[in-house]
Amino acid sequence: MQLSDVWMLFVALALTMYIVLDGYDLGIGVLTLLDRDPGRRRQMHELVAWIWDGNESWLILLALTLWAGVPLVTGIALPALYLPLILMLFALIARGVALELIEHHDGWHRGWGTLFGLGSLVAAFCQGAAFGGLVAGLPAYGDTFAGGPFTFLHHGYAVVTGLTAVALYVLAGSAFLYRKATGDTQRLAARAGRVAVVALAAGTVASWLLAAPAGPLTLHPGETARLPIWIGGAVLLTGGLAFALRSFRVDPTGTGSDRAPVLATLTVYGGGLLIAAGLLYPTLVPPGIIVHAAASPQSSLLFVIVGVGLVIPIILTYQAFGYWVFRGKLTPKHEGGAA
Amino acid sequence: MSHATLLDLSRWQWALTAAFHITFPAVTVGTSVFLVVCYAMYMRTYDEVWLRMFRFWRRIFGIGFALGVVSGIVLTFEFGLNWGRFAHDVGPIVGVIIAMEVVTAFFLEAGFLGLLVYGEGRIGKRMMLFSTCMVTLGTTLSVTWILVANSWMQTPDGYRIVDGQFQATNWLHVIFNPSFGIRFVHMLMGALIAAAWFIAGVSAWYLVKRRHLPIARRGVSVTLGVLALLVPVQMFIGDHVAGDYVFQDKPAQGLAMEGNWNNGNTGENFFVIPDQGAAKNDWQVTVPWLGSAIAKDWSGHTATPGLKQVPEQLRPAMLPTFYGFRLMWWSSVVMLAVAMIGIALRLRGRLYSARWFHKLVVAMVPIGVVATWAGWVLAETGRQPWLVYGKLLTADAVSPLRPAAVLTTLITFVLVYLALLGTYVWYVARVIREGPGDGPLAERAAPSLRPAPVPNPAPAT
Repeated sequence: MQLSDVWMLFVALALTMYIVLDGYDLGIGVLTLLDRDPGRRRQMHELVAWIWDGNESWLILLALTLWAGVPLVTGIALPALYLPLILMLFALIARGVALELIEHHDGWHRGWGTLFGLGSLVAAFCQGAAFGGLVAGLPAYGDTFAGGPFTFLHHGYAVVTGLTAVALYVLAGSAFLYRKATGDTQRLAARAGRVAVVALAAGTVASWLLAAPAGPLTLHPGETARLPIWIGGAVLLTGGLAFALRSFRVDPTGTGSDRAPVLATLTVYGGGLLIAAGLLYPTLVPPGIIVHAAASPQSSLLFVIVGVGLVIPIILTYQAFGYWVFRGKLTPKHEGGAA
Repeated sequence: MSHATLLDLSRWQWALTAAFHITFPAVTVGTSVFLVVCYAMYMRTYDEVWLRMFRFWRRIFGIGFALGVVSGIVLTFEFGLNWGRFAHDVGPIVGVIIAMEVVTAFFLEAGFLGLLVYGEGRIGKRMMLFSTCMVTLGTTLSVTWILVANSWMQTPDGYRIVDGQFQATNWLHVIFNPSFGIRFVHMLMGALIAAAWFIAGVSAWYLVKRRHLPIARRGVSVTLGVLALLVPVQMFIGDHVAGDYVFQDKPAQGLAMEGNWNNGNTGENFFVIPDQGAAKNDWQVTVPWLGSAIAKDWSGHTATPGLKQVPEQLRPAMLPTFYGFRLMWWSSVVMLAVAMIGIALRLRGRLYSARWFHKLVVAMVPIGVVATWAGWVLAETGRQPWLVYGKLLTADAVSPLRPAAVLTTLITFVLVYLALLGTYVWYVARVIREGPGDGPLAERAAPSLRPAPVPNPAPAT
């Protein structure tokens, strides 16, 4: 265990927090596209309006944990993923600004709403595509990217992972919405959530099967110590998906828990992250860039581990406080197109 | 040729996205301080005018903050996207500093902004004040860390270079690098001043229109009072930025911003049209003797040295440095004049009745932002051709992208940012036209998402 391995815990924390929190945020954005009712759309906007920038903070932290801790990864992967990441930035800009303006343009309320939904969809897709482009391998020469602008596509593999990411985020969004909403909105969440479970299962299998042909994926299969991690991850993933399918009740009877889909989704996340880490670590940019070679010098790692480590608990505390302040169900009084 | 194109396109994209971004912090940092003042005064005095001001400026703050967030994320990624070599070489220092900015400042702002904007009615007054203070602390810390990073690039210290990568040897020297202190104060003051003109101008517009008079008077009075204090101090600090840091640590920038190619000019250039390639001015307007006088030699014999003494490939471009400096400086002169007129009118009891003056203050709305832009153009173009001064050339730091890809994204940025700027101006203008309201105050303001969700009692599970 080296300092750079310790730092990777922070990278993992930022990644997990981001895909869980902004995952539901972007997922709810996609869900707004499925419902034309202004009242229900508004409920969904309200769910994320107060926290979207807080959720996106984890994306910035993810980018920075990589840059500060393993600058070689940033130096190679970001130029290599130029197009999907720039497109993601445009999409995040569009949805953030649209969300702020949604209630202020009487004549174009629907337009801002659609922009918010499309921005969320494109951002989710681009993140999945960038992830697929990364894990399928990015050619590097020394410490510089040595491919073209479309290398990341890997003959369409990035499209598969992009769609899978959309399914994952829609699942997260549905689970959160199911937890916070009642009535028709909750039913919409349940229906969308079930579709997302099926799509995510298909996407995961496809991503798995196509990974090897897509590029020079470096696995570490010879290490038997990793076997429990893979099996544990696979069990969590499939169990979580099955649990999610069961717990989204299209007709809530009051007997089931409306927290169950959230728990199921978190299980899915846990399983997926375990599998990805178990397969790849310590490789960060396949085929050749591993953590220990890409890491910052000790002086930097020590400084950020102490500095960021001290602040993270405070951040988690006040973000939790925010969720506590905005706790409870959305009021159903605006339902049914009152706007 | 292709590399030169790539470098130019990448630099233009950075310049555009950074200039767009700085527009919003330049206003929101100071506005957050103003929000603290308004809410603290409301809690002290129970005077509802303060609460109205708080709610009104909070709306304008909210949209500016959102645009600052999304345009800031762009910059975070561009460090690696367009400047991959830079990301690799300085990640152990600049990456670490910006990571500290994210955890100490950015999360703090974003975490408490939700409470500030949507929390009224859900949290008590003390918590509201606390949230507002935390947002302000976040914006201020953000300025601090960004200035640490940028100042380190201007005057790197506390590092060694191992295999082309910068490694910190002394973090105190990295953070408190030679130019950090004075540049941080200069930027923070600039942000406060920019927001103060913005608030003063909008308040003065209500005086011109004879609307919301209590709020307008208080806004004009507070901000012009603060400006009369801050602007002279800022001019003094700016003088020290030039004298203690630019001419000492970045002499080439100092030479370029004075507009001379050859040694021997004892005058001060007011306008120049430089020809960088031929190393001469096609045209210039020079006031004799003044250059020597500025150098504190009243006899008129001290000449300002010229840029030709710097090797050609290490010369910053004269045009942006010269005019960046002059735009900033002349803006400050105008600010000082208007702030002093404000003092004079106040002493004669005419601050609220001199309508010509109110119109003048309305025209001052963008001046702080313009001066901030100009100052950053000066600082950033004056550092060229270096990214890390004296150590890493900009041309060596650029990502090996296809120029066509960068051109595509640059054009898209131009279009998207023009649309965003238009939307921002339209929205702020609309909020200002609606005004802070004159009717009875609601128990809790309608936040920008209306109506806000109201929690049920603990949900039964």
